[in-house]
Amino acid sequence: MVTLTIDGREITVAEGTNLVEAAAAAGIEVPTYCYHPGLTVVGQCRICFVEVEGMPRLVTACSTPVQSEMVVLTASDRVREARAAVMEFLLENHPLDCPVCDQAGECGLQDYSVEHGLDSTHMVDERRTNPGRERHLIGPHVVQNQNRCIHCTRCIRFTTEISETSDLTMKSRGNHSYIDTFDGRPFDNPWSACAADVCPVGALTVKEFRFRARVWHLEETKTICPGCSIGCNIMLGHLNGVVHRFVPRENAEVNGWWMCDHGRFLAEGLDRRTIDVPLERFGEGERRISWDSAFVQVAQWLREAPQTLVVASANLSNEALFAVRRNLIEGARMDVIVPVSEGETRRIKNGRGVWFSSTDAHPNSAGARHLGLTTVDAANLESYLLDGSGPVLILDAHAHPWLDSEGAAAITANRRVAALARYRTPLVDTASIAMPLASWAETDGTFTSSTGRVQLARNALPPVGQARRAWEVVYRLALELGIEQERAMTTRILFAEMAAEVAAFSGMTWGRLMAEPGMPVHEEVLGVG
Amino acid sequence: MTDPILLRARGLKNSRSLATYLKLGGYSALEKTLSMTPAEVIEVVKASGVRGRGGAGFPAGVKWGFVPRDTAKPKYMICNADESEPGTFKDRELILVDPHMVLEGIAIASYAIGANTAYIYIRGEFVEEARILAKAIAEAKRKKYLGEKILGSGYGLEVHIHRGAGAYICGEETALIESIEGKRGLPRLKPPFPAVVGVFGCPTVVNNVETLACVPHILEHGGAWFAGIGTERSTGTKLFCVSGHVERPGVYEAPMGITFREIIEDLCGGMRGGGELKAFIPGGSSAPVLPADKIDTAADFESVAQAGSMLGSGGLIVMDTTVDMVWALENLLIFYAHESCGQCTPCREGSDWAVDIVRRIRRGYGRPGDIETLHRIARFASQGMTICPLGDAFCGPIASFLEHFGHEFEEAISKASSMTTNALPILPVQSDREMFGI
Amino acid sequence: MTAPLVVASPDEVTDVTFDRSMEVQIERTLQQYPDSGAALLPILWLCQERWGWISPGIMEAVGKRLDLAPAFVEGVVSFYTMYQRRPPGKYLLQVCTTLSCQLCETSVLVDYLKRRLCIDFGETSGDGLFTLVDVQCLGACGEAPVIQINSDYHTDLTVQKLDALLDRLAGQ
Repeated sequence: MVTLTIDGREITVAEGTNLVEAAAAAGIEVPTYCYHPGLTVVGQCRICFVEVEGMPRLVTACSTPVQSEMVVLTASDRVREARAAVMEFLLENHPLDCPVCDQAGECGLQDYSVEHGLDSTHMVDERRTNPGRERHLIGPHVVQNQNRCIHCTRCIRFTTEISETSDLTMKSRGNHSYIDTFDGRPFDNPWSACAADVCPVGALTVKEFRFRARVWHLEETKTICPGCSIGCNIMLGHLNGVVHRFVPRENAEVNGWWMCDHGRFLAEGLDRRTIDVPLERFGEGERRISWDSAFVQVAQWLREAPQTLVVASANLSNEALFAVRRNLIEGARMDVIVPVSEGETRRIKNGRGVWFSSTDAHPNSAGARHLGLTTVDAANLESYLLDGSGPVLILDAHAHPWLDSEGAAAITANRRVAALARYRTPLVDTASIAMPLASWAETDGTFTSSTGRVQLARNALPPVGQARRAWEVVYRLALELGIEQERAMTTRILFAEMAAEVAAFSGMTWGRLMAEPGMPVHEEVLGVG
Repeated sequence: MTDPILLRARGLKNSRSLATYLKLGGYSALEKTLSMTPAEVIEVVKASGVRGRGGAGFPAGVKWGFVPRDTAKPKYMICNADESEPGTFKDRELILVDPHMVLEGIAIASYAIGANTAYIYIRGEFVEEARILAKAIAEAKRKKYLGEKILGSGYGLEVHIHRGAGAYICGEETALIESIEGKRGLPRLKPPFPAVVGVFGCPTVVNNVETLACVPHILEHGGAWFAGIGTERSTGTKLFCVSGHVERPGVYEAPMGITFREIIEDLCGGMRGGGELKAFIPGGSSAPVLPADKIDTAADFESVAQAGSMLGSGGLIVMDTTVDMVWALENLLIFYAHESCGQCTPCREGSDWAVDIVRRIRRGYGRPGDIETLHRIARFASQGMTICPLGDAFCGPIASFLEHFGHEFEEAISKASSMTTNALPILPVQSDREMFGI
Repeated sequence: MTAPLVVASPDEVTDVTFDRSMEVQIERTLQQYPDSGAALLPILWLCQERWGWISPGIMEAVGKRLDLAPAFVEGVVSFYTMYQRRPPGKYLLQVCTTLSCQLCETSVLVDYLKRRLCIDFGETSGDGLFTLVDVQCLGACGEAPVIQINSDYHTDLTVQKLDALLDRLAGQ
């Protein structure tokens, strides 16, 4: 450990820490552009100059490791002057795009120019521009405006060091250098939008988010990506009930600062909803019913039937699945299956340089297994559905791609099916009762990743309209069936009860999950699933 | 000064051949070197006081001494033949006249630092010169002056030629190293220095062609002999390249300390067409310009520094009274903006900005704040603000041109017309939805 | 006398493979470095000598041969001004425009060239013979004005000398 003084504050940090991180540990922010904790240090932008006693020249904080008894000044007159000059150089060719630039509100130039820059410029000449690269769709998800580029090379380093695709490069040199792909080919690696994340300015922005909302209007909720079993941590940006974007949230152990494009752009489909209210099949058509009626009717079917099949889902939270286990399996002796599907391989690199990989398309298959639920593939799912005549309670009609098929609708046509769904599928259209299911943005709960971490997803929105969450439906049915009693019931309570009962969650508390970046599953259970 | 040392073979028939070089006593220094220890060789070179002739003027012997001896990593010697500093053309002369002298210097230096591989980084434009060196290397290898078991000793050295491809910045030693490694020639952050972490991560010494050409003579005649020529702290002879408004431009060898007046009037036949001296740049375009009244300055590192400039590479550019200094500065700044690698903010932005301002002044659209802005750029793109000295290289000219010839800039500005621009700001001109299908 | 450049057409260098003799030279080059990446510049030179310019197809082939990403290769190629990105004419007239040559009236030569060839810097004459390029200091300032034509330095030029020279080249 090394002890040094920064702006009069004494701080002790690990050997090898650079002065940007050391200052941050002391509560002092040194401005940076090219520096990124997940990428190699290049010391190019020259904004992070600090003064070190005994050194004749200013040094770049990002490339200077701490030394014992170093005395560092981050705000001396010399430093202020130098930083103001670098800001002026950076803004000299930078277009006055703020009013039309998506980066506004989370822009490195905006953030630092007020505090560290001058209030005017000496530049009266014409700015250099990059004709043809001002609104250039450089890849399926990324828009380039090269005029705004500050040449920090973070995007290039991202493609070399993180995605390992090396698809971005700097071409030409000097003030004419510009970012591009080989031969102008599409920039489309599986994590391409992360290049827009790391870009401190609006030179690279996400196409899907273009002109959607001002970031300072957005509310951002900490949640988890539902795209696969890895469980990348994300922030969900929303405004007035509309989901606008997912962006990665830092978690050194799971996803570093990154997320893949597949997961990121699931945000676009979250608002998809065509089942708004509970519906009952009525003759050839359907009619709206109330939730109360729906519960009463479904409970009656379940009470009458000798055996009920429950199709749960690996998209549901641990709390919802625990409620299923406790109430429907243990309490009501129903058969419960959890369909799991294999999808494309998804990969992400964490903050330690370790790759995680998953072909599991669900965020909570591991949770289902740790709770002892039976997982099935499409073939088994089909045979379960064929094999029986009792009612089928489908807690998530989108639990598996096969459930969307005409085949699934055909098989269940002559059974009593009660299905929770967000949008219409053939099966939902032939279900006896269809009920609106809350979306991912409206869900809170814990999810267990394939890397063995239990992570907390918060809901950005309350359930829209009449949508309900799966655990609520299970609890309410359990009440109707006399298995549960009227009492306070929230996900948090469910979680506490689950942690008390299920080995995989022992020792975990909701409070710790809120604070910590996920908690490891209890070791004994790690071998399962 | 009596006989030339570095250019002794100039004018001789077949001056480049090995036979000629041997006749003049070539490769005997190498033979002598092989009987000494590397440490002894370094001491001789240190005693000579020879300083880098590429522009930085760093003592070569001291640089060789920085190479760690106690590492298992291979060492590399690199001869910097990138010669791209405007006004400099002495390395080309040496290669055209006496390539073996350069090779012998490389061999001695490689031995001294423990390198068995040397690269000659030669600018891409020097196609003929690269061929000449390749031929000389082949000749030397055949006669065992290079290659395995040199002159029957246990020491071997392979010399390879690595051609650049048009980038002045690759003359900076760390950019040169990056270029050898097959990358864009971007200078590295220092520390670490090349002597510790250089090419391929191994200890490396980079020396200029002329510096290396001095080495065989130093080993031949001793460090004290070399130190006895020139001045106390700028020892030996120097190749001065004179270009511009003189009668006889060219490369001239003279002891350090000769005055610029002597160079221009005695060696170069005076000003071209009897013109009057206005200004001169003593050491390649990166050296601050000096006015005519400094002509009696001695050409050595200390004296030129005291006069407010740098000896640099010894590339002397002479300007007479017909020269418009605003035009001259614009020309130089265009060079630096063209050659800036683009890595760091002050140089990438400042170099281009400075060109814009000076060009505008020259065209008659200068504005009152321009000189102040130029000073500001010069101040903040130099002295450690940048990763490498290219920042200082264009800031030096800005500051010195304004210091000595500021009146020309002021006059141009005061006569300027006010400019209106028809340039429109770039606004979205059609819906983005249409363009992106969103 | 300066030899004309041998320049491949774009079609010829879209899909590039290295023949036996190129492979031999590539192998020899690789021997000179402990790291194969260092062979990039020399091999690009070999390609330019063979085909006259560096096309995307060549960059891909070189990248594959040296296990370097094509974007990386293009980044390197675009950094160095001597690698031609488009097919040049038979004679690449590289005119030095830096201070020492300018002090020796190179601008007169430039005006002459632009008028005779009816092109500006960066363009090729209509007959495909001459490509005119402005370059920075060529390192032969004592013999200014200097123009490099293909690999050869032509020094101490005057309009008359240049005119005669272009006539001879055009006649070849």
